[in-house]
Amino acid sequence: MYVALVSAGVFLNSHAAEIDSSTEAFLEIPRPAEFHVEITERDGPVFANSNGKTLYKWPLHKLRNGYSGEPPGTPMCYDEVVTVTAGFMSPYPPGIKLPEPEERLSCTELWPPVVAKDNAEEIGKWTVVERRDGSKQWAYEEQPLYTSVRDHFAGDVIGGSTRRYGGDSPAYRVPIGPPSQLPPGFAVRTTTVGRMLTSDKNESIYEFEGDTAAIINCINACLNNWRPVVAPALARAQGEWDLLERSPGVRQWVYRGKPLYTHILDTKSWSQQGSDVPGWTNVFTQRAPSFPQSFTVQSSIAGDVLADVNGRTIYVYRCGEDSIDQLACDHPEDTQIYRLAMCGAGNPAKCLQHWPYLIAGANETSVNRSWRIITIDPKTGRLASNEGEGNLRVWSYRDRPVYLFGGDSRPGDVNGGGTGEWRGQRNGLKAFWLRDDFMNGIL
Amino acid sequence: MSRLAYLTISMALTFWSTGISVIADESILRDGKISYVMTDLFWSVYQTSEGNQECPRGYNDGPREQFEKLFPAHEYLTVEETQLKQEIATWHPNADPEEFEFFEVEGELSWGLNLDGEVGPNDFVHPDGSVGIDNEVYRAVGCIIGFRGPDGVEYIFQNKAIIDRVYNRMMIQLADVDSLENDDSVTVNWFRGMDRLLTDATGQKAMSGGTQRIDRRWGESLIRQSTGKIEDGILTTDPIDELVIPWMNLSVPSVHIFRDARLQLNLSSEQATGLLAGYADVDTWYYQLIRNDSTHHLSNGQISGISLYKALRRLADAYPDADLGHNTAISTALDIKMTQVYVVDPLEENSE
Repeated sequence: MYVALVSAGVFLNSHAAEIDSSTEAFLEIPRPAEFHVEITERDGPVFANSNGKTLYKWPLHKLRNGYSGEPPGTPMCYDEVVTVTAGFMSPYPPGIKLPEPEERLSCTELWPPVVAKDNAEEIGKWTVVERRDGSKQWAYEEQPLYTSVRDHFAGDVIGGSTRRYGGDSPAYRVPIGPPSQLPPGFAVRTTTVGRMLTSDKNESIYEFEGDTAAIINCINACLNNWRPVVAPALARAQGEWDLLERSPGVRQWVYRGKPLYTHILDTKSWSQQGSDVPGWTNVFTQRAPSFPQSFTVQSSIAGDVLADVNGRTIYVYRCGEDSIDQLACDHPEDTQIYRLAMCGAGNPAKCLQHWPYLIAGANETSVNRSWRIITIDPKTGRLASNEGEGNLRVWSYRDRPVYLFGGDSRPGDVNGGGTGEWRGQRNGLKAFWLRDDFMNGIL
Repeated sequence: MSRLAYLTISMALTFWSTGISVIADESILRDGKISYVMTDLFWSVYQTSEGNQECPRGYNDGPREQFEKLFPAHEYLTVEETQLKQEIATWHPNADPEEFEFFEVEGELSWGLNLDGEVGPNDFVHPDGSVGIDNEVYRAVGCIIGFRGPDGVEYIFQNKAIIDRVYNRMMIQLADVDSLENDDSVTVNWFRGMDRLLTDATGQKAMSGGTQRIDRRWGESLIRQSTGKIEDGILTTDPIDELVIPWMNLSVPSVHIFRDARLQLNLSSEQATGLLAGYADVDTWYYQLIRNDSTHHLSNGQISGISLYKALRRLADAYPDADLGHNTAISTALDIKMTQVYVVDPLEENSE
């Protein structure tokens, strides 16, 4: 069935040719000249400083016994080295001495504040806040800004992520960026499979391979299961977004040349269930960076999970200290005390049995900034030089090694997921999920 | 009068007198099949008032109480010496002797079944007088507050998860059924469903008559088949060698594995209630618990994972492993409630 395209001043075909469909379009908003936008692999567009370093905020986050992070307009990250626990996470009390006191870094050594010059001019959502010593710091939407020492290249978001995190996770640092170029009623969410387009009610958005911007084939019985995303009367085409008239007075949103739908049979937010229907796929503003070619995707009893060449599930380690500054402990340059406790009762040899690193093949090379091969000293868990005897070339995700679990024996086993403190959220391991039909939007 | 004639007349009278459709048991059978979906599942814990009979010495301490006793001056100690020491003991448990006195159930009575057909010195007596009841999980958890109803944290949240989480949506389909009252041979199929439960307006009470699609995308490995019989409305199934029950309460997909698993269910056209019993794999049992419930959650129920693992290993009574030198499974019984449901098989074969 042919439906007339209402182009509203934009010729989609010619326009589409200009669009880089691999990355996400964003709205230009007023900003200080010293900052610009970087397109990242996983988190879409982010703001960065003149060196290309991503800017992060540290939002207030409710924990079990209090709040951590920063209230609007109030820097909380300073140069004192924190030495005792905060007692945010029961049942353990505050005041216990934190590990490796002589090697501990302060918050600002890991998260340098984004300093504002004395003559810095506030603009739009960008303001200047005063630190305790009287120095000035940039803020965005009143959240003080920092960079991460873990980021090394323009577009890195190694320090944090915009992925959703739960109440028992640490108070993470989160990259900031410009608003996505979306019509009202839409949203974008960072997941392990890409920047997923949804409605503002978290309904997944789908497209049908049989449709084009001018031809719709989802009609009649097809509409029993698929609901066109209808645009309001005043909606106008813009950028990658266009409109078509399904029937007189009923206009449907079109994104990158494909009419958009929700799936009536989806049973949960951010669902991928509709993509099981032949010809239908979720819509992403940009796909997640490719994983190594040797990796596989396995079906488990809870969804699809990333696995190695033999089908063994891949796990990531997460760690955040129970300290007032909520510093991470999941990077090979962080203390390894927590990880070694969890994976091997403090014994590195046991860790290699229970949670072996995913060793990179001799001919494999790093794929992108998200999936890199790094060298680890297995005795310490720290980054090592390539030449060291016994060092391991291992796969890493966001510069953190990934692991297999000794208790998994068959493809699709996820027996290690949730191992560690707080169901693997604070000092433990979680499976690398690619599809979530059961876990309330865990991707 | 034949049973069929009786039912027919009974139904007609009911229609005539009330105008409401009341369906006799057998009429709900479709091609000799009826299905039920699980709505409640929890470890059978025989309780007396204040635990006087089964826990005369009181209830066990949990992680918070143990931490305070072990580290009264924690401010002088490090994370490695305190918190991580306890977490290591939790995640790398052993069966070494207890540092704390652990209160096992001391009473003689327990819910459950005689799994091994024998009567031994460690067996319980059923409240109805039956002997030889095997339920060592009860002996381990019966004096832990978190496992006791109606307020125990595990009792509340694990049961709640059975209703709330589609991941846990196990169901049985009885096939080759002639009568829900008596049938000397029926087939019992286990599947996972993939839909929300039909509930009343509160959303909490499951209603019969809903529909569930069989999960053939993710749940194929959970499918099992066994046989059984119905006597006086009670279904008793033959043991399944290994039944896997998916059980997630806090977003960590995990399972319980039951060896020699069997059902004893009181059947009606609307529900099936009774027991699921068998031998639980000890390690799977333990890690299901601690992967879903952090030490914080366990503390709320005064559940010390460290002590509980020792008890499970100490009381394990089946499936000895010669290499390991100890039993790997422990007898158990679970209270189970199921409600009638219509099953749709995406393969379009066994749909009701």
